[in-house]
Amino acid sequence: MADGQSLEEPPKVKKAKGKTPTGPLFTLKKWNAVAMWSWDVECDTCAICRVQVMDACLRCQSDKKQEECIVVWGECNHSFHNCCMQLWIKQNNRCPLCQQEWTVQRFGS
Amino acid sequence: MASVGTSSALLRGNGSSNFTDQWPKMQPIVVKLLKQQEITRQEWQDLFWDVHTVCSWDEKAPAKIQKALEEVILEFTREIQTSVSQHKEESALLKAYIKEWTKFFTQCQYLPLPFQSIEVENSANKANKKRQEGNKVQVLMLQTWNRSIFADVRSQLLSAAMSFLYKERSGEAYDAQLVIGVRESFVNLCTDTSNKLQIYLEYFEKSYLEATKEFYTSSSSQYLSENGVQNYMRYASDKISEEQRRATRYLETSKDSQSVKLVMTELDRILIKTHSDVILEECPKLISANEVEKLMVMYRLMDRIANGVDPMLKCLESHIVNTGLSDMKAHAEVITTDSEKYIEELLKLFKLFSELVKDAFGDDSRFLTSRDIAYKKVVNDVSVFKLELGTKGKVSGASKTHPESKCPELLANYCDLLLRKTPLSKKLTSEEIDEKLRSVLLVLKYVQNKDVFMRYHKTHLTRRLILETSADSEKEENMVEWLRDVGMPAEYVNKLARMFQDIKVSDDLNTEFKDKNKGSDTADLVNIKVLNAGAWSRSSERVPVSLPTELEDFIPEVEEFYRKKHNGRKLTWHHIMSNGSITFQNQVGKYELEVTTFQMAVLFAWNQRPEDKISFESLRLATELPDPELRRTLWSLVAFPKMKRQVLLAEPEVASFKEFCDLTMFYVNQEFGLVKQGKLQKRGKINLIGRLQLTTEKTKEEDNEGIVQLRILRTQEAIVKIMKMRKRLTNAALQTELVEILKNMFIPPKKMIKEQIEWLIENKYMKRDEDNLSTFIYLA
Repeated sequence: MADGQSLEEPPKVKKAKGKTPTGPLFTLKKWNAVAMWSWDVECDTCAICRVQVMDACLRCQSDKKQEECIVVWGECNHSFHNCCMQLWIKQNNRCPLCQQEWTVQRFGS
Repeated sequence: MASVGTSSALLRGNGSSNFTDQWPKMQPIVVKLLKQQEITRQEWQDLFWDVHTVCSWDEKAPAKIQKALEEVILEFTREIQTSVSQHKEESALLKAYIKEWTKFFTQCQYLPLPFQSIEVENSANKANKKRQEGNKVQVLMLQTWNRSIFADVRSQLLSAAMSFLYKERSGEAYDAQLVIGVRESFVNLCTDTSNKLQIYLEYFEKSYLEATKEFYTSSSSQYLSENGVQNYMRYASDKISEEQRRATRYLETSKDSQSVKLVMTELDRILIKTHSDVILEECPKLISANEVEKLMVMYRLMDRIANGVDPMLKCLESHIVNTGLSDMKAHAEVITTDSEKYIEELLKLFKLFSELVKDAFGDDSRFLTSRDIAYKKVVNDVSVFKLELGTKGKVSGASKTHPESKCPELLANYCDLLLRKTPLSKKLTSEEIDEKLRSVLLVLKYVQNKDVFMRYHKTHLTRRLILETSADSEKEENMVEWLRDVGMPAEYVNKLARMFQDIKVSDDLNTEFKDKNKGSDTADLVNIKVLNAGAWSRSSERVPVSLPTELEDFIPEVEEFYRKKHNGRKLTWHHIMSNGSITFQNQVGKYELEVTTFQMAVLFAWNQRPEDKISFESLRLATELPDPELRRTLWSLVAFPKMKRQVLLAEPEVASFKEFCDLTMFYVNQEFGLVKQGKLQKRGKINLIGRLQLTTEKTKEEDNEGIVQLRILRTQEAIVKIMKMRKRLTNAALQTELVEILKNMFIPPKKMIKEQIEWLIENKYMKRDEDNLSTFIYLA
């Protein structure tokens, strides 16, 4: 206990001044960095199935599919679940949001 | 002509075929038969022949034969009557009667045989009346017996039989056959084919019922007052099984007869129903004394009468609730702080109650239901401790919520203790942990607000996965499946499964990242976890922090690497979750510290000026951490629990992190060292992370609010779903269906349902029926 009390006294710190070890006080040994990824989309929800694009689309959810349910971007920059869009263009090859002709710009992966 | 002559000659050859001639020959044989005297085969066959010839010769013969038979039988029965009724004593009379009756009844089967021709004649005459089933002669015999003997001695017989019964009930052994004989004669004497049991019902059953009633009405009350209720229950149950046996022995048990049931119902009324108040009064006493055997007797008795066990169910329920709550209150101090103790206490109670239901009530489903209802009350009780879920009324139609049990939170904490590397999980074997996890699920079944459990469970899981502190990853994944099995909502369980998947994907990603950066510092120093934002975090809040350059430099490298691997993804760093280890070197020694990234950011501020005292304000500028986070981080370095020497020292000293002000000065404790068993260690490792803070204070509040808001949305969603399907529904039916849909997440309070219905009506999702305001109509 006596030890602990003496530690709090500033003079002790000053006394130690000359003996400071070489090198930085703190060095990094390991860093576990955490990041979250999400689709780089303008709208969080898929306009076709009304589920968040980060979650699997309704169809995949009910089928309990294990593989990823990815996102697709059109030239118009609108994005949907790829599964949803595949079905959509069978009936109407236009973007459900802006009615432009649908051309795939890129797929998420 | 010739042929006719021949045949008449043949007939005449046997003597005259008319009745008057033949009867004197037949009569003695009939008498012999009645008296069960021996007759020769010839006599027996002649009788057949004679009856036949007489009947075919003279069409009036059958009636004549019948008349003659009647006289013979009448005379015979009169003789018997005289001999029987000379016995004045009941039992002698009964014995004599039974003996004669048995003989007579046998003859009833034989005597009609030779007289088939009369039958044929009769049914030919009345071709349409086929319903006459019994044969004429038999009917004649029984009717005669009935008139000349039975009518006379009936009452004597009955009273004899009943007094036998009385004596037997009082413990004297009697010849059961006598009573049975009386019953048989009552049953068989009836000739009314549409209601064969008529005489039996009218006399025998009625008397039996009355005798039983009389006997037990007095003896049961007497026994009760002499021996007390508990003995009385045993007595009643013995008597019931005794009477059951007796009734099946003495009463008619053929398909058409309800006698046994009738008597037993009457007996139940006398023995149980009239005394049920007294019996039930014992119930609470027996339950608290755990007198399972006596309870079993009581249960079996009360179950015999309609709604008999209902009061017992109530007793059991209030017993469980009272015991459960008083137990909780008695241990309130320990269990409110120690989730392990709380859950074990809850489980102990559950086991206790279940054993009671099993031993005392044979696991009767009604009692199991009562146990469940009552246990649910204990689990969800808010008197010992409660969880406050606040709202600020921002959401449509939300109002103040009522307090909830803390049970789900503590259940989740307990789960964490079992699944994380803790002294508890190390102490237990794998099987023991499984068993305890299963019991958590058992209690969870009774928790009303499972969504709270899910939220806490997920937070704990996040911590275990990020800090890699799971005790056993296989158990972790088993637990997810078990949660699925007990009916947790799929979208929730799927997210948990997704989290495990993410960790595996991240592991692979790391290996790849390290391969790419082989030889560089980065590969050795950095571990990355890139997680699916949808599965891991709902809150979008990020805490800004200025990373030390040592860390900051890695970021573009990682992002570049990730961008090449994936398409269309953006990364958000969650430094609140990230962590690492650093070495701390001072004059005392060299130590490895496991720290959060925030702690790292703070500590690295001293790397350029190791001797300096730095003010709170300067640290805030250097780290860019928000005030509350900085306070918390500094506090964890100045006053880490159970540590003799802290890493940082504050000036002036403060008692709580709330007292830090901008001018509070901090400096590195150059004499920091690890103390083990009183000895200062030169080297060592210490974890300063403690409980990884996943959310800021602000988001915690938001989280609680989030639960309430989510509940509101779920309720609205479910109402719309139901209405869309049903189109038109009464309020009561809607509420029932709603609870059914939501019960795996939470039980919606009535008030909330009402508010949400109002909101939906206001927003034209549905409307009230104008003719019936408690009926709703869906509006598309």
